Formats: sequence, C-alpha cells, structure tokens
Amino acid sequence: MAIGPDRYASRGDTLLFIACVGLSVAALSLPDQWRDPLAQGLRQSVLAPFLFLQRQTELLAAARYRYDAVVAQRDSAALAATFLPELRSENTRLRGLLGLAARLSTGYVSAEILHQPEPTNPLSFVVSAGKREGVRRLSAVVSPEGLVGLVASVDEHTSVVLSWAHPEFRASAVASDGSVVGIAAPHGAEGPSVWLLELQGVLYRHQVPTGTVIVTSGLGGVFPRGIPIGVVIGPAGEEKGWGRTYLVRPVIHPAELSHVMILTSSRPAGSDLRNAFTVPQDSALPNEVPPQ
Amino acid sequence: MRRTDRYRYPIIMTLLVVLQFTVRSHLGGDRVAPDFLLLALLIYTIRAEPGKSAAAGFLLGLLRDALTPASFGAGALAHTLVGFMSSWAKAVFFAEHVFVKGCLFFAGTWLRNVIVLLVSGRLQGSQVAWELLVWSPLQGLTTALVGVVVLWFFRGWLTPYRRGGGGGKGSALGVSV
Repeated sequence: MAIGPDRYASRGDTLLFIACVGLSVAALSLPDQWRDPLAQGLRQSVLAPFLFLQRQTELLAAARYRYDAVVAQRDSAALAATFLPELRSENTRLRGLLGLAARLSTGYVSAEILHQPEPTNPLSFVVSAGKREGVRRLSAVVSPEGLVGLVASVDEHTSVVLSWAHPEFRASAVASDGSVVGIAAPHGAEGPSVWLLELQGVLYRHQVPTGTVIVTSGLGGVFPRGIPIGVVIGPAGEEKGWGRTYLVRPVIHPAELSHVMILTSSRPAGSDLRNAFTVPQDSALPNEVPPQ
Repeated sequence: MRRTDRYRYPIIMTLLVVLQFTVRSHLGGDRVAPDFLLLALLIYTIRAEPGKSAAAGFLLGLLRDALTPASFGAGALAHTLVGFMSSWAKAVFFAEHVFVKGCLFFAGTWLRNVIVLLVSGRLQGSQVAWELLVWSPLQGLTTALVGVVVLWFFRGWLTPYRRGGGGGKGSALGVSV
C-alpha cells in the first residue's frame, strides 16, 4: 500500500473526492419521498445486522441492570400474593371512590432507543420495535412521564421516531383542565430557552398561568387525549396578532431516555390517558421565571 | 504488505464496528461517548489514499444518515470531507507520533460534528454553541483517547511493512511510543 507524501494529490483521488461531495449534496437535497425509502432500505439491508446487534446488547444490558430489581420484586410479589384477593378488592374499591381509570396496561410495545453519536440524534432516533412488534406510522411514542414524539417510519424490527424537539413536530394540545387549546411545537430559539416547547395559537383573551400542565388534546387523531407534554413556564416574548404563545418545559428530554413505549392499539374516541402518566411534580411552581 | 496484514487490519476495523454497536451506549452520555465508527474511518484514512478515504467516508456517512434521518446527507458530506482532509493532511503535514494522531482523531471528530451541524441546519444559536464548544470537544477527546489506546494496543498489527526496512517507528501507522 502506498504511503508517504507521494500518494496524495493524484487526479483520481481528486475526482473521487469531488464525486463523493457531489453525491452527498445530492443526498442532502433529496425530497422526503425519495430519502425515506433510501434510508429504510439501508436500515433493512446493510445496517440490519448491526441494529440487531445493538438491540440485543441493549436488551442484555437492561436484563442485567434489572436482575437485582426483579429478584427483589419477585420476593415482594411472593409475599404480596398471599394478600392478593384482599388487595385487589381494596384497590377496585378505592379506584371507584376516586374515579380513577385504569393505568396504561395494554396497547403499547416497549422499545429501546438505539442512540447514535450525531448531534442531531435527539431530534430523530431509531428504536428497536417495528412492524413485527405492531408499530405503525404516526404511532405516539411516550415515556412514563409523557410525550416523547411520534413514529415517522417503520421497518421490520426498527422504527424512526421524530421527537418533540424536531422542527417539524406539532401536536394539538390542551391545558389539563381543558381551559386552553393550542398547538405544541418546538421553540427552537436562541438563548437558554432551547430544548423547550411552545404552546402556539392560544386565544388572546386566554391567560395561561405558570405551572399549568399541557396535555395532548386528542384532536387530529394522531395522539390520544391526555398524554402530558409539559408545564407552562411563562409567555414566549411579546404577543403578536390575535394569539398568545407560551413557553412549555417538556416533561422529558429525548436524550435522557433509554426506553420508550409506543402506543399501538387504536383507542376509542374520547378516551383519556391522563391518569396513565406521572403527573409533573413541578406543575404548581409559581416562582419560576421564564427565560427571556 | 505482510501476509498477516490481510487479516489483522480487517479484524481491528470489525472490532471497532462491533464496539460501536455494543459497548458504546454504555460508555457514558450519548454526546460524550467515543465514536468508534469515525475512529475506524480515521485509522483507515491514515493508511489509505485521499480518494479512497473520501469514498469510505461517504459510504460510512450515508449509512449513518440512515440512522439519523434528521440530517440525511449531512453525515455523508461531513464524513467525506473529514476522510479526505484527514488522509491528505496526514500525508502532507503530520509526523508519525501517537500524540499527533490523537490530535488528528480529536480534530476529525470535532470537524465532523461542525459540518453535520452547519449543513443540516437543524440546531440554532446556543444549541450550536453548546454542541461545538462543549459536547463535540468532549466527544473528540474520548474518541482521541480510545484511538490512542487502539493504536498503542495494536501497534504491532497496525504497523505496515515498509519496503527497504521493517515496519515500526516512522512507518505510515507506526506508533512512536
């Protein structure tokens, strides 16, 4: 193999370099309808064994990590099983008293996030569940805290998720008490308010207090109603036109997650998932100052 | 080329690829953990001609773009440029020293992230500043550290045969330690 200064600056090298740059620029300017099948084809062919390897490693790591917890839970469960009938009946009675619905128990698949090192990874990432696991395009992706994003494309065993931080992400949103309706979108501005969402299109006559929990409204049919999106932390600058915009701190950052849940089954119209998620703990912080 | 080079070199490349998809996610934060695939490319570029390095970078970048569609094409362009520049600069400027190669790995990682960020245009303002001034240097540092360890650990394997004298100090991948 040629080494040393005599190997560079040959015409062939330069032509190959220019060709690669040209192809890269062409890939950059590909429209979505060509880009997605190309990426999907690569994921299902060349990258399939590597994604399989990564998925198995994540499963193995999760299994090892959870082993102690599972053993402890098994012991606790064995003990609790002796009281199961009493606990079940008491639980049913208390739920009935409080009017709580059942938590999210079926209709989802869990998936590992196959993180990649690129800086744009929090915007869209690959997860280890696909068509075979029942994932469909535009399925909602959630964590126990709330909304993470939605499925943009589906392969056999993997899917591409568009997180809430992606510039093209939008979700129909509503305040948890139903008083305010708007569109949740990534804020995407400079300063300390990056990685925030904003609630756009709120009617000018509506004031949204700091600490209000924003959830999905269920309008549009993509996200079920009641998935927590974030907590309002203040108005986003000056009001323009007839609507107000508020900054919303998301309930979860995609980079913090290692696992997500993908909602698979279609839910009856009007179903509300609010009680299936952890309520944001800081939803009533009156002293928080929004970033300027 | 020694007869065993035919096997040793692909073994190291394969090892780096396997590390990328197995242990990388357990080496700290996603934005800080070393990038084994880029490291494999940079090690390849030290040894290969700039044209082949650019082609390898393009293929690698395109495959990575399939995993992060938010910046499709940006990775291919970034890896092409980094591959070509690394190979060219290695031939023209860099001395055969493990520290210099560590600097090459650091600069390659940082430059790759710069190009991806600027070309994809997905992040703005202080997001770009944080990526370029905090996360990318950290990732470059970890990648460089792993690269130096790989070069040192496999110095016998990565040292190519030189006509007119054995491999070792002063060869294309000779690790002067």
